[in-house]
Amino acid sequence: MARLTPRQYQRYTLLAMSGYVGFMLLAWPMVRTVDSTLLKVLLALVPVVPMLYVIGLMARRILDADELEQRTHLVALGAATAVVGGLSLVGGFLAAAQVFKTDGAILIWVFPVMMLSYGVTRWWVGRRYGMSLSCEDDRGMPIAWRFLLAAVATAAIAWLGRHRFDDMGLGLLCGMSAAFLSAGVVLSWMRWRARRGGRGAA
Amino acid sequence: MKNHVRDLRGEQGWSQADLGERLDVSRQTVNAIETGKYDPSLPLAFKIARLFGRPIEAIFEPD
Repeated sequence: MARLTPRQYQRYTLLAMSGYVGFMLLAWPMVRTVDSTLLKVLLALVPVVPMLYVIGLMARRILDADELEQRTHLVALGAATAVVGGLSLVGGFLAAAQVFKTDGAILIWVFPVMMLSYGVTRWWVGRRYGMSLSCEDDRGMPIAWRFLLAAVATAAIAWLGRHRFDDMGLGLLCGMSAAFLSAGVVLSWMRWRARRGGRGAA
Repeated sequence: MKNHVRDLRGEQGWSQADLGERLDVSRQTVNAIETGKYDPSLPLAFKIARLFGRPIEAIFEPD
């Protein structure tokens, strides 16, 4: 199988995520109102398809990576597994002790939390080897721009769906948008500093 | 481990990206090797030695 270029990887991921977001925005609100069990199951499982595709893309990217990149991916995945495992244990015991009530929908957060831990750890491990996220993807869109794009996308979704989402959903999207925006601004500043430092050294 | 990869690359007039392409690794990996932050595996060290036409011990030496 031909190796994916970073641009192809980004393009395919963006397409899959756009499909996911579009589905969540347009079709997901129907999942609780449809009567047919079959349709309910179908609607509930359709968002999994693009996410499985993204997981497959990630696996392919890791397999295609060189030895140092594979090392950082492996450490980051290990750390992400530990974080999710630890949080699940803490949350599970607290829920079992009826400190708070939760339902199965909380499992939706497993993958996002894992990806967040993975991203942060990979950045942390990469620093040790002189890698920086701000210039890692000089072959594609800079990471800061990706965060800013994600901030705009989540803000747009919140705005478009403001009459459909409940308060929690809307608050969640606004919070995510703010978090993406903050990360984008910080990374843009780091990138600007790195470039200014580079010019100063030259 | 110390190495002379940066000097050898300079002699060839290659950029880090050029060397990365020849070794089938990323530019950042080349940078990590050159700055001594990462010691390559034995197969990669052999690949580097072969590319520059030198024995491994002439390129890599212990601290």
